[in-house]
Amino acid sequence: MVDNLKFLGVVILLAAMAIESLAQVCLKVGAAGGPDILIAPYNQFLKKIALLQRAAVWKILGVFFYGLEIFLWTSVLHLLDVSVAFPMGSLCFVGVALLSKIFLGEVVGPVRAGGVVCIIAGTVLMTL
Amino acid sequence: MEQMEPRQKIPSAVIIGIVLAIVLDTVIQIFWKLAVADIPDSASLITTALTTLTRPYFYLAMLAFAAQLVNWLRVLAQADLSFAQPFTALSYITVLTLSTFTLHEQLSFMRLSGVCLILLGVFLISRTSHDTTGSTAKHEVSGG
Repeated sequence: MVDNLKFLGVVILLAAMAIESLAQVCLKVGAAGGPDILIAPYNQFLKKIALLQRAAVWKILGVFFYGLEIFLWTSVLHLLDVSVAFPMGSLCFVGVALLSKIFLGEVVGPVRAGGVVCIIAGTVLMTL
Repeated sequence: MEQMEPRQKIPSAVIIGIVLAIVLDTVIQIFWKLAVADIPDSASLITTALTTLTRPYFYLAMLAFAAQLVNWLRVLAQADLSFAQPFTALSYITVLTLSTFTLHEQLSFMRLSGVCLILLGVFLISRTSHDTTGSTAKHEVSGG
């Protein structure tokens, strides 16, 4: 039973990290003025949806996903020890790097990727 | 290794915005913690949420959160997401430092090593170009 709750905690944590990364991408699109900042074919696909041309809609989506993430994170902390949840939370840095590369076409080269790896390793060490 | 070549100077507005983001992140964490500090661990999720709503510290945290949103949108308008976002890891260090001083926890060797690794990671990212897509308005004016 306890193991099941822990497993549930890890699943919710992974979902929370994916949603936080998505929230950051939405805020970036909103800050950049709209979906033109996304690379092809994503920007072309989103051009078909009139509502998503407004930057404000992306900002609201970002805040909404952030709110959802805070709610999920609270549940995670009820199910898992902070010493486990906190370092796993740094998976968000991987999520953001991946989504930035895939959807925004940002250059995540060896130096930037190495920086992300160092941050995650450091986060894990901080809780030992 | 394109990223290690001479790069655009990071605009001071981006640097100020990132520093402000770390300060606001820290303020949010501390106020939020103060808002829930006296709620027992045994309280249910709903009770915890409702009790939090009655605490003035929670509203201070929300105020800082709103300021953070405005500030962060300004940073993202001028910098890569994959450049700016990892800097927020520095708030782990500021929160750890503040809680060490107020709670008098002992700093272990592991924790210090972790702090050093995070600093190294942030340093590496700061050596990369802050805008690789060339899609921000500022870049189009001054670049090319």
